[in-house]
Amino acid sequence: MNSSSTLYKKKGPLAVFLIPAFAFLILYLYYPFLQNIVNSFSDITGLGTPAQGLNDPWWSNYAELFRDPHLRTALINTVLLTVCTVVFQVGIALILALLVDSIRVGAQAFRTLYFFPIVISATALGLMFNLIFLFNGGMLNQLLMNLGLISKNIDWKDADHFLPTMLTPVMWQYVGFYFVILVTGLNNISQDLYEAAALDGCVGLAKVRYITLPLLRNVLCTCLVLAITGALKVFDLPWVMFGAGMPQNRGWLTGTYMYHQTFNRGNVDYGSTIAMLIVVLGVVLSNVANRVFKPRNDL
Amino acid sequence: MGRKITPAKVCTYGALTVWALTTLYPFVWVILNSFRDKGLIRKDSFSIPTPGNGFTMDNYTKAMERFDFGNAYLNSLIVSVSVTIVVVVLAGLAAYGLVRYRFKLRGVCYSLIMAGMMFPVFSTIIPVFRMEAAWGIASSGSRWLSLLAVILPQIAGNLCFATIVLMGFIESVPIELEESAYVDGCHVFQVYFHIIMPAAKSSFATVAIFSFLWSYNDLFTQNFFLRVPREKTITLLLNEISSQAGVDYGLMAASVVLIVIPVLAVYVLLQKHIIKGLTAGAIKG
Amino acid sequence: MKQKKVLALLLAAVMLMGLLAGCGGTSGGSGSGSSGSSAPSSGGQDAGKPAAVELNVVTSYGGDDGHRKDYENAVKGYEEATGNKILDASATSNEEWKAKVLTDFETGTEPDVLFFFTNADAEPIVKAGKVVDIASIRAEYPDYGSNMRDSMLAVASDGKNYAVPSSGFWENMFVNTKVLADCGVAVPGPDYTWDQFLTDCQAIKDKGYTPIACSLFEVPHYWFEFCVMNNGTLANQLDLPASADDAAGQKWVAALNDIKDLYEKGFFPANTLTATDAETVQLFGDGEAAFLIDGSWKVTHFVDNYPEHLEEFAISYVPAKGERKASEAIGGISMGYFITKKAWDDPAKREAAVQFVEHMTSDEVMSTFVTTEVTALKNGASPSGLNALQQSAADANANITGVVGAVQDTVSSECKTDLFGNVQNVVTGAMTAEDAVNSAIALN
Repeated sequence: MNSSSTLYKKKGPLAVFLIPAFAFLILYLYYPFLQNIVNSFSDITGLGTPAQGLNDPWWSNYAELFRDPHLRTALINTVLLTVCTVVFQVGIALILALLVDSIRVGAQAFRTLYFFPIVISATALGLMFNLIFLFNGGMLNQLLMNLGLISKNIDWKDADHFLPTMLTPVMWQYVGFYFVILVTGLNNISQDLYEAAALDGCVGLAKVRYITLPLLRNVLCTCLVLAITGALKVFDLPWVMFGAGMPQNRGWLTGTYMYHQTFNRGNVDYGSTIAMLIVVLGVVLSNVANRVFKPRNDL
Repeated sequence: MGRKITPAKVCTYGALTVWALTTLYPFVWVILNSFRDKGLIRKDSFSIPTPGNGFTMDNYTKAMERFDFGNAYLNSLIVSVSVTIVVVVLAGLAAYGLVRYRFKLRGVCYSLIMAGMMFPVFSTIIPVFRMEAAWGIASSGSRWLSLLAVILPQIAGNLCFATIVLMGFIESVPIELEESAYVDGCHVFQVYFHIIMPAAKSSFATVAIFSFLWSYNDLFTQNFFLRVPREKTITLLLNEISSQAGVDYGLMAASVVLIVIPVLAVYVLLQKHIIKGLTAGAIKG
Repeated sequence: MKQKKVLALLLAAVMLMGLLAGCGGTSGGSGSGSSGSSAPSSGGQDAGKPAAVELNVVTSYGGDDGHRKDYENAVKGYEEATGNKILDASATSNEEWKAKVLTDFETGTEPDVLFFFTNADAEPIVKAGKVVDIASIRAEYPDYGSNMRDSMLAVASDGKNYAVPSSGFWENMFVNTKVLADCGVAVPGPDYTWDQFLTDCQAIKDKGYTPIACSLFEVPHYWFEFCVMNNGTLANQLDLPASADDAAGQKWVAALNDIKDLYEKGFFPANTLTATDAETVQLFGDGEAAFLIDGSWKVTHFVDNYPEHLEEFAISYVPAKGERKASEAIGGISMGYFITKKAWDDPAKREAAVQFVEHMTSDEVMSTFVTTEVTALKNGASPSGLNALQQSAADANANITGVVGAVQDTVSSECKTDLFGNVQNVVTGAMTAEDAVNSAIALN
């Protein structure tokens, strides 16, 4: 990218572009998060109570991170979720976006349909999936029973089944999200390029390989970063469906575990420490993703 | 070209339809069951409820008489529309500045935004609440101030995401256009409003839709700041219904439908406009 | 260059803060003004009664609370009688709700009247002097809370009374008589033994029913409380262990192992470790499970959801082991109305707040809340007729020989969360009962 453009030599207007947004962020994100950092070293016994001085030793919460078996479970589950998110969410979304881009009749209808799950709040979706996976007369058990595939209800949330039950709804919900971003990216690709390529005899898969994908690279990279950061703090859907670590503390995710520590157990300082872990992991992972997929950019 | 039915086309439509069914069917199921007698849902949830065979409007009448939906829709709209407008304006400017300008702190700014996207709202909400309580806008008893108290943190919460996404899109706008406009004597703000915004129009619309939806659906922040009935938004209402309904799945299904329908309507309407704007520039071949 | 930018950024932040603060200040005035004129309900009262007061009230009667309707009716009664308006921010009681209430007190956004727990949970606001004690209120309003027995008022750590008690609760065993009849099991009486209970459960299980409706994931605490009692006495129920090895600790360990035994025998629902409370209660209500330990608040749930089946349910007795008698149960009064210092010091609100609490705790209003629960009313409650289930509860209560508070209400919320979160691990063998008790006690 040409960064030496004369248009952008004068830096004056930059202040107008950046200051309003950053002022908001400083006040509502960075300042509170600074407090969060302080909290992670302090001794706080309840949500509504002020800190009672520093922890002894001050880094004890960070040492706890390494000892806590539930956090280990949460991290493993979250990494799994991240991998699934990147592979399936972005993967399926990309395929669907390319397919929709290649058709004319009905493209609009598909676009609308695929977006459905995003429109609905996680609370509502959680209720819906709870009805689907319900042990006693849920949609899935009813269906399998009617088809004669099972004779006894399956507990979809028990230790043997919880992973797919937890991951599928999360992934299903957000395919539409990445789909919309990718379709928007495809729409931004100038039609002239395709026409020029078609003149050169570049059509079908070759067109996708040599024109669409390279031009989508920026947007794909954005999707990747969003998928990683999103997976680390996934909360509402698993929380509505599984609550506190169901089944038997094997279903924790970093997002749900942090919430549980802060709001259910009043362990505000330890919750803050987990939040730190989430942020550090997220920044590191998304920077790695950026390095790998965007080698030419200097960010 | 493209009028014949080819095997490739059949496969394409086949795959697209299968996914469409997975997104559509659960809603059809919920809608069907919202009209079903509550006792029947766990026994027979697949048939179409007909009068005499479990069809009932009870779930809807119960939901409507128990809760003030009109007022809640109004509150939700006020919050989400304000959030959307501010986010799109601020994020657009910031993304443009970060993409096009080269300056020393650029890397730092980018990392800050990235980190901002990671902050779990649970860890920032209490300091924010204290701050706003000290300013007198949170829990002040005034409906409008309470709504403002939700709007401000929601803006901050959506800003990072919006900036990152818009950066991705603005990067793919060819810089040559801007150069030539500049040569023609355009000021940098004119370049932004007359070249970048139209070129990335659909991206702005996409970000607007997401900001709107997330603000609309964000239970946690709303739950923390809005407590009195007259301040409640539609998402809070759903939460309340679901906690009151217990195992009344029919009432739950009906409430989900009541909450989702208006959003779907807005989305479908907006989408038409977006697509129109897109195809006006370039006719797809 | 760099410094300048940082400076600019800082300046902008300060500016924005000032702007927002200013905004908050000015629109505060206009905001409340406009809300007054635009809120449809307050338009009328401006004209009618100029002295109308808006009271902020927080209670736990929101969500699925059994008394939500009674509460809403009582509030309406107060609004009609006084012309004042209640801004009600009630919610369902849980740890998150408690934390939110305490945070409000810390940030100075507390309500005017609060209905809250009177035990250790209220200590922070009592210690901070944020609520007014009953004696101070009586100095000005001598009749405040005078219809309550003073001996039954909760005493805070400073020896003073702060809350006017509301309705109490009992916990006992609900039975589905239809299921029992189908299994040939007699409805348990006040001499029900643990061994008989195990035999009955086996018979019920063999018939294809679920013996005990309980989600060990969400609500193991009812069974824990009674199992602790089964391994001790009414008198030492409230003893707290220092570790799993002392007498109280051994009691808790034995209680957890009793629950484990029931789990291993398959007497809980197949999905007890993943089900919600609502799901398992539904099993009981729909006649698929026989026994349910729950509180007096559940009676309303059955009245609302199974009006045609009330005769099939009965209140019975929790099977007893050792020194405990099955006729001994858990009960008490754990919540009451507080008036905050903020409302008391506000001349416009003082009288309205006192009136509100007096209204909510008057004999007539309390009688809509209390049917079979414990009450501190001097005259007792006079509910207007009992339905079948309430009658059954009243009959059972008549045979109750001893009542004690719940030991779990005396420990910290983190300790409680930890202990009950580990019940699932104890029953599946992932953790020993001793470890679970030690882990919880360390957090108290």
